[in-house]
Amino acid sequence: MKTNECMKVLAKHRGDAVVICALGMAANEWWAVTRSEDSFYMHGGMGFAASFALGLALSIPRTPVWALNSDGSLCMNTGCLITEAGQQPRNLKHFVVDNGCYQTVETMPMVNQGAADYAAMARAAGIRQAITVDDLAELDRVMPEVVAAEGPYFVRLRVEPEPDYQRAPPANYEGPEMKYRFGRALEKKLGIKVFGPRGF
Amino acid sequence: MDVNDKIHAQLVKAGVRLAASLPDDWVNTLIRRISKDNQIHHVPVCREAETIAICAGAFFGGVRSVAIFGNTGLLTCTGEMATLCLRHAIPVFCIVSGRGSIDDHKVYQEVQGRRTIPLLQAYDYPYKIIDREEEIEDIPNAYEWHRLQKRPFVLFLTKKLLGTKA
Repeated sequence: MKTNECMKVLAKHRGDAVVICALGMAANEWWAVTRSEDSFYMHGGMGFAASFALGLALSIPRTPVWALNSDGSLCMNTGCLITEAGQQPRNLKHFVVDNGCYQTVETMPMVNQGAADYAAMARAAGIRQAITVDDLAELDRVMPEVVAAEGPYFVRLRVEPEPDYQRAPPANYEGPEMKYRFGRALEKKLGIKVFGPRGF
Repeated sequence: MDVNDKIHAQLVKAGVRLAASLPDDWVNTLIRRISKDNQIHHVPVCREAETIAICAGAFFGGVRSVAIFGNTGLLTCTGEMATLCLRHAIPVFCIVSGRGSIDDHKVYQEVQGRRTIPLLQAYDYPYKIIDREEEIEDIPNAYEWHRLQKRPFVLFLTKKLLGTKA
């Protein structure tokens, strides 16, 4: 399956979930498909979108939170699986878009390409529910169960590498603007206070 | 009430409700106290940069948080502090052991003692060194100030303050 098609299926099943996107193709395609403002599109901190999502999930325990991670980011911080398992957040679902390459840097191959089983790693870390999905029909079929289940739930999404294809990043979201748009979106959606009375 | 109790109490006063930590022997007592406090959700992590991202996530959940770790760990996560927190103007409050000071004779802390402050200055991360017990009361003010600064802030705890033998 292609990443864009995969994102369309995820978006169909999203419900009220707040989504944290690792930088790169996952973020770019999620933006292209959803244009959602209650999603955070990381510009940096590669490897730490899942940790960001965990901190958010623990802070808003009644709201579903999705981490939309990538294989490159997961490999940079595999310890996030152990930290996540240690917390067992019921509202967190962790998706990893696995295209076997660093798509945004000329599709250079991933380390140990194709041989590392990320779902098995998640299970070994203590995340009991961890699956690999290879095609769109299967994804569409399993998503109701993934959404309904208590977290943590880890889903490896095996997508095709797409050489010579580059989706533009969320272009009109500069770094600080992202903070305020996302924070204001959560304030409105959840009735929480992210910013103080003077805006910081 | 000892020094660690006072730091803990001032963090609660500042509104902190989540703490992410990785052990260092100078701050372990503080971590243990916080982990036993039901008002503060404690998240032990595998590496220090996770604390930065977890606290950044908590910020957007409207939850005040603190990252606690050692000076060596601070050196390992300055990149994430820059590309996540500076990039998106996200405040993160860090409590860090001031290892490598003149009274810390562990050879493996020597570089940290010499290079940490110049590194923070290069990134323009604000910091404060707490050396005396009466300065602990500054923590709530420091917390408000770091939110205003919209970037990572480091509060160093010294050996003299903590009275540690390690």
